[in-house]
Amino acid sequence: MQPFVFFGGKGGVGKTTVSCGYGRRCATAGVETLIVSTDPAHSVSDVFDQAFDDEPQAVDGIDGLSAMEIDPETEVTRHLDEIRQRLSEQVSASMVNEINRQLEMAHQTPGAYEAALFDRFVDVMRESDDYDRVVFDTAPTGSTLRLLGLPEFLRDWIDRLTHKRRQSIDLFEKAAIGNNEPRRVMDGDPVLERLAERRDFFEFAGGALRNDAAFFLVLNPDQLSVNETGRAIEEMEERDLSVRGLVANRLTPPPDDDEDGRGARYLRDRIETERDRLEQVREQFAPPLVAEIESRTREVRGDLLAAVADELAIDPAAEEPTFVGRDE
Amino acid sequence: MTVADRIAAYREVLREWLQGLYHGMISHPAYEKIEKEAEDSEDAFLLACFPDAFGIPSPVSYYTAELLPYLEDEFEAWERRLWDRDSYLERKGQQYHF
Repeated sequence: MQPFVFFGGKGGVGKTTVSCGYGRRCATAGVETLIVSTDPAHSVSDVFDQAFDDEPQAVDGIDGLSAMEIDPETEVTRHLDEIRQRLSEQVSASMVNEINRQLEMAHQTPGAYEAALFDRFVDVMRESDDYDRVVFDTAPTGSTLRLLGLPEFLRDWIDRLTHKRRQSIDLFEKAAIGNNEPRRVMDGDPVLERLAERRDFFEFAGGALRNDAAFFLVLNPDQLSVNETGRAIEEMEERDLSVRGLVANRLTPPPDDDEDGRGARYLRDRIETERDRLEQVREQFAPPLVAEIESRTREVRGDLLAAVADELAIDPAAEEPTFVGRDE
Repeated sequence: MTVADRIAAYREVLREWLQGLYHGMISHPAYEKIEKEAEDSEDAFLLACFPDAFGIPSPVSYYTAELLPYLEDEFEAWERRLWDRDSYLERKGQQYHF
């Protein structure tokens, strides 16, 4: 299966548990694995009882497993500082203030976190040589879908900007009649260069997502979660990203046959409705249901994680990437 | 002063006048017009890059901010033009010399 695996889904369905479980399964199968959390509300640290930051770090006690957590706040600041650095090198002191205001404004717009996250996870994909498999534990459905839809959309934007920039430089060149020096020249224009770099970046991201990534949606057996999963599948299809499989998490465990107390009746009742939901999932949605994970009474950690990992019928073997690193 | 010198001086004055006339009537308005057109499309470019300057959130301003270090002159001129621009019609009208 593809080297990059994304787990998405509604908030609170157990994406982190499932991705950590899968990461563990891969690592146990001898596949060098990295778990990347892109959810601003990180919980990978909680699962492994170990603090992670935005550099890959080996997970204690599990060979071949590393984890990292991307903090959009840090990424935004890093991006801001980088530009400031270049600003002070290029721009005269009197203009720095003026431009700085614009710069700060750009980093407070609603899309900044998403853009920062996107940048970082594309970098992770690009520099994933050390790992055979990278598992992404993503933020809840809505923002993930927007994140994955970015490359196409942004590439179009950058194309339009490039076109506009070319147009104005072309006019400036034409305005310089005779011996006049044109105000801007096309050759070596740093703005066009940066735009082209960005375009390549989005191109790479789009290619990597389409060719080397597999997407799984995690759901709970309740109507809200099932409905949201249906919408997510549709939206992903619109973006040419197909969902490889669905993982049903938090299924109610059945009582023993001889039990007939109030608790047992309650459980049987629940199982009945959950079975209906799962039936609905199997019938209505194209992606197969690849795992059914029972609800645990305790937090999923340590040995429980291993048990969860066993319940995931997702092939841990990682293929070589076909797109990423092809031309490097 | 010989006749030849006087003719040469006369021709020099004439050349200067004609060049000035040509410049003032034809070439200057022409390139001024193109230059203003160029400025207009540069304005459109900058607006597309930084619509948040006008309170319009943009999905790309996080990325276009990377261009700021290279847009010093453009940015300054853009702001200046925005200050003294009354209406689009007037701006376009300025480009015609009647």
